[in-house]
Amino acid sequence: MIYPKKINASNGEIITQIMLAISIAVAIILTIINKLTTPNVPWAALANGGIIYVWVIVKYSIHRNVNIAGHVLIQTIAVSILTVFIDYKLGFKGWSLSLAIPIILIVANTAMLILTIVSYKKYLRYAIYQLFILIFSVLPAILIGERVVTKPIMSIIAIGISILNLVITIILSAKDLGEAIKRKFHM
Amino acid sequence: MSENLKWRKLDNSAKIFPLSAGRKYSTVFRLSAVMKEKVNSKILEKAVNKTLEKYSSFKVKMKYGFFWYYLEENTKSPIIEEEKDYPCKYIDPSKNNDYLFKVTYFDTKINIDIFHVLTDGGSGVVFFREIIYTYLELLHPTVFNSNERLARKIDYNTEDSYLKNYEKNLKGNSSSKKAYALKGKKIKLGAISAIHEIINMSELKAECDRYGATVTQYLTAVLIYSIYEANYKKYLEKKKVNNKNGERNTNNLAIDKKEKFFKKPIKVCIPVNLKKYFPSKTMSNFFSYITLEADMKDLVTKAKSNQESLKQEIAKPKDSNEEQENDINQKMLVDEQLFTTIIDFVKNDFKQKLTEEEIIKTMSANVKLGTNLFIKAIPLELKKVLVRLSYLEIRKYTTITFSNIGRIGIIGKYKDYIDEFLMLIAPEPVEKIKCSGCTFENKMSFTFTSILNDNSIEKTFYHFLLNRGISVKIESNGVLDDISKKD
Repeated sequence: MIYPKKINASNGEIITQIMLAISIAVAIILTIINKLTTPNVPWAALANGGIIYVWVIVKYSIHRNVNIAGHVLIQTIAVSILTVFIDYKLGFKGWSLSLAIPIILIVANTAMLILTIVSYKKYLRYAIYQLFILIFSVLPAILIGERVVTKPIMSIIAIGISILNLVITIILSAKDLGEAIKRKFHM
Repeated sequence: MSENLKWRKLDNSAKIFPLSAGRKYSTVFRLSAVMKEKVNSKILEKAVNKTLEKYSSFKVKMKYGFFWYYLEENTKSPIIEEEKDYPCKYIDPSKNNDYLFKVTYFDTKINIDIFHVLTDGGSGVVFFREIIYTYLELLHPTVFNSNERLARKIDYNTEDSYLKNYEKNLKGNSSSKKAYALKGKKIKLGAISAIHEIINMSELKAECDRYGATVTQYLTAVLIYSIYEANYKKYLEKKKVNNKNGERNTNNLAIDKKEKFFKKPIKVCIPVNLKKYFPSKTMSNFFSYITLEADMKDLVTKAKSNQESLKQEIAKPKDSNEEQENDINQKMLVDEQLFTTIIDFVKNDFKQKLTEEEIIKTMSANVKLGTNLFIKAIPLELKKVLVRLSYLEIRKYTTITFSNIGRIGIIGKYKDYIDEFLMLIAPEPVEKIKCSGCTFENKMSFTFTSILNDNSIEKTFYHFLLNRGISVKIESNGVLDDISKKD
């Protein structure tokens, strides 16, 4: 015999499918209960938003080859969407755009700045994610320009930190950033 | 100094593999060496690491780009473990230290599963052979201390030989006919059957000489014959019976359905090593393919007309014994005539399609797709969706693939430690069976990897060779068990 008798058929996929089915079932039950009991308070939608957020995070955590900068980028996007969704469901007071997203961007830029300074030798690995976070950081400026944000203090701080991040990155790793762009955008 | 890991673009063939690959379409092939001694896993691990120092083109991981994937140097060590899964399964880089190949072992067998994005069968053999040589040198330092291989210079590169050799203005020949898809139920989800038919090479060669055919041509003909007898004809007969019994079917409808069934040819895809046609030292993919299109209606009609003239030469029976013997002769005559017609077709089709001009045409058509500016400019995620959708259609143009990588040459005393080599390629939901072959010393291993819950094609193939006086030994992974007990 040149093959093992017992084969470990991978059941990881089945477990994921079961978990997905349970999540969908929970979401449907919550929505029904919400509609039947307190239809004026959209708490089921908030819970379901949370479920989707957890799935996005779990899916990316399973991908072990996504590096730390990749996780920062995914978290930035996922949490931003979640906060806007919660704000929208609670009557859209605008706190997600004027407060939550700028804070998220400050945290993300600070994290990337620390990563750049601490491990600039490995910067090439993080460069493309940092570039996307920097692009994403333009969002508060657009929102101020469009007068969507009425209290721009946090947004201005976030933009300031993004610019600082960009300047330090260029000073430390401009060559690597160019190399990363060459790799990621080759045709 | 920043950590500047080396990177390279994917070659023209490799570009397509990660776009279409997944759990159902792994695009993985396996090479195995059955050694004469039990495998020492620690030594094997050392051998793999040492080999990676020489062949750094394998020490890579795949990365996302905005338009294409690319390969980047992998700083981690490869995982070497005991075989515990079906062969040619999808290699999940995140569970394999990002590597695109996987070395496993079981008892006396060493396997390497390679994701096609890295290389093709020919260069895969070069890498695997180096692992085996290094393993034996580490395991038996006293035997191999003279080390005759040290003088041999490793000379390779990772260039995209497609781009270097294709011709911009050539148009490819593509057949518009969809292929006959093998019928039958699939085996349980995720399982892959591997059946190796280890054939005595000198006996096989003598039989090939009888027909003036090469080994690949002969085995392709046997394969078409086996598919016809064990799958195509069976379902054609079933269809005829269903049509006869069905209340709604008129005779005309039954004939129409039979005609429609017969219209789909058995198409065999034969990969071709382009290094035989163009000077190249690349370790990346450099292969193309030809597709034989066996129109069974045409071949069966031809065989029947030839039979009629031969039948008359068989004497009329006088008693019952003679009658029975005559029936057997008639059956053998029919089989032989059909096979002769098939092998004549295969030889002729090979002659027409295996020319440099035809091969350049096919290769150039494929390269042009990869170099098309419009295609290049499509973002990767969208490319994935488009390729997967178009592959749903493209896959309908092949019944089966038969890849024969030929002789695996092993030098000097190293041969004494190896029993046989095997090659396997991953079957797919449409191409439910794939075949592969390789030769070591006087053993040609012909392998069926299958997700079809029926081994009648494998059995027909086996009995065909046995009836021709060729010794065949069966080895299998036991998924479709009964054929392995025949030996």
